[in-house]
Amino acid sequence: MADSAAPVKVADCGCITAFGDARATHAALLRGECALRPVAVLGRDGGEAVPLALLSGRSLDETAPPEWLVAVRRLHASIPGGGWGSPGRPVFVTGSNFGVGGLYALRRTGEAAFATWGGPATCTERLRELLGWGPDVSIVSHACVSAHLGLLLASRAVAAGLAQEALVFSFDFLSAFVAGGFHALKILNSSFPSPYRVGDSGAIGLGDGAAFAVVSRGRGSWTLAGQSVYNEMHQFTSNRSDGAGFDRCLEGVAAASRGRRVWFKGHGTGTLEAGQLEVSAAGRSFPGAPVVGWKGSLGHTLGSCGLVELAIAIESVRAGRTPGTIGGAGPAMSESVARESFGNGAFDGVVCASNAFGGAHAAFLLCHA
Amino acid sequence: MLERHIQALHTDNPGDETPAAARERLKGRFPAGATRRMTTLGLLVGNALAELGPGPDDAIVYASRYGESRALEGFLDSFPTPSPTLFQTSIHPSAVQQLMIARQAPVREFLPLSGGAHFAFHALRAALLSPAPRVLVCGGEERGTWLLERGLASARTFAFAASLSLEAGAGPLGRVRLSRDGGDGELSLEALFQLLEGRIPYNGVVAPGWRMEVVWH
Repeated sequence: MADSAAPVKVADCGCITAFGDARATHAALLRGECALRPVAVLGRDGGEAVPLALLSGRSLDETAPPEWLVAVRRLHASIPGGGWGSPGRPVFVTGSNFGVGGLYALRRTGEAAFATWGGPATCTERLRELLGWGPDVSIVSHACVSAHLGLLLASRAVAAGLAQEALVFSFDFLSAFVAGGFHALKILNSSFPSPYRVGDSGAIGLGDGAAFAVVSRGRGSWTLAGQSVYNEMHQFTSNRSDGAGFDRCLEGVAAASRGRRVWFKGHGTGTLEAGQLEVSAAGRSFPGAPVVGWKGSLGHTLGSCGLVELAIAIESVRAGRTPGTIGGAGPAMSESVARESFGNGAFDGVVCASNAFGGAHAAFLLCHA
Repeated sequence: MLERHIQALHTDNPGDETPAAARERLKGRFPAGATRRMTTLGLLVGNALAELGPGPDDAIVYASRYGESRALEGFLDSFPTPSPTLFQTSIHPSAVQQLMIARQAPVREFLPLSGGAHFAFHALRAALLSPAPRVLVCGGEERGTWLLERGLASARTFAFAASLSLEAGAGPLGRVRLSRDGGDGELSLEALFQLLEGRIPYNGVVAPGWRMEVVWH
């Protein structure tokens, strides 16, 4: 089962990050800017200052209703077409947070208003009402590969003829809940991330992010092919040390990429072992492909990262220039790691990969239709 | 129309069984030492799934509206010194991962879903669209405490796992089919569980435009 979904087209795609929309984010990455800033890990409750990339003007502290709704509505307003959530136009909502910051605030304050947006189903139902979607709204939550799975399910629905088009909509906004959790795991600390750099210790940053993609049978300038997933089930928070999980996932994408010259948009959170495993696996599956990672600037946008970074990859191809890997100093883990931006006119495909807890891997090939 | 044959089914309806009692009942079903940090949902879903013998080429569709409610409550209660163990355990698909990691059992495709009124349809559509020869659909809920008081956790604990195949084979238990329909209706995860537990035939609209038919042989 190398290719777990027939190729489909991406008709429309967009994102919001701490820098703004996809175009603004791409431009900031090309300038080598870093959106991460030191923020107290528990917001108003204090704690160590850790690298977070929050939307402009947004606080880590939860409000009721959530202030991130403004960004979600703005992003949604940029999606062409309508009728989403009707039987022929299903929605696949993905993410790993789903307003969980409201549960943190609920427990701290006891204020019932915070319960309104807490939990995947409750949060998505409120969002469905707010955005005017019909009832066909699936919810996919598999930590940091959630968006990839939403794309996979949407692609299957479209390829099977169950839908003309499907909307994948993903959002993850930071809170003390998730920052505190990663801080407890000690991979979020005062150090800024240095993806794919050799160092004594690794660290990640976290970022706000939301994105959408309209998957279509008929229209679109981009093709998604070789969608591939694999779950190691080795440990909750680490991968097999032989890199087999990366290889098993990428083999499906490599088959779809045969004959193409690709660049590789990696997961690249800033952890050392996973970064080395990923760079090595990319080199085995896509020899000579330059590897980039953008989480050293945007932070890890968690369950939405696959869709946020798809939007930036598309913008990169449109603009003809791929941002390099931002963050840190010191030698790269491999010569394939692109530290500077590069012209991508000579390439005819992008491999986009993400990883998650449980040794979950997901990847696909993006190319011109 | 989408269709699969039900080859095996395991359900668990523990009623008011306490988490400690569930652990005692099911500890022999998991590798030694594995159950100490397992959640009630992990124990029940893991046991149901284990009955089906998940293999590396299976697809697993996991359905839970609320997921790991007790771990989530515990993690929230652990602030301002949050527990790393409860953080990783509280993440939505951990019930399945608790079994599969304990067994060191990789799987190609793992599709964890949440949902509401039309959850049965969304989970079954995901399962019936998978190209895997065998799809294991599992799910369940665990009874919450203070999140339940806020309407953010399940009031009951239950779990199920069903093996679905493309071919009927020698002796299937039944068949599930999704087809287009002009009507309107809904079917929650708990309602789907009741159909499976009682092996109750069903033919009705489970989401706008979609009919589900379950036949037992």
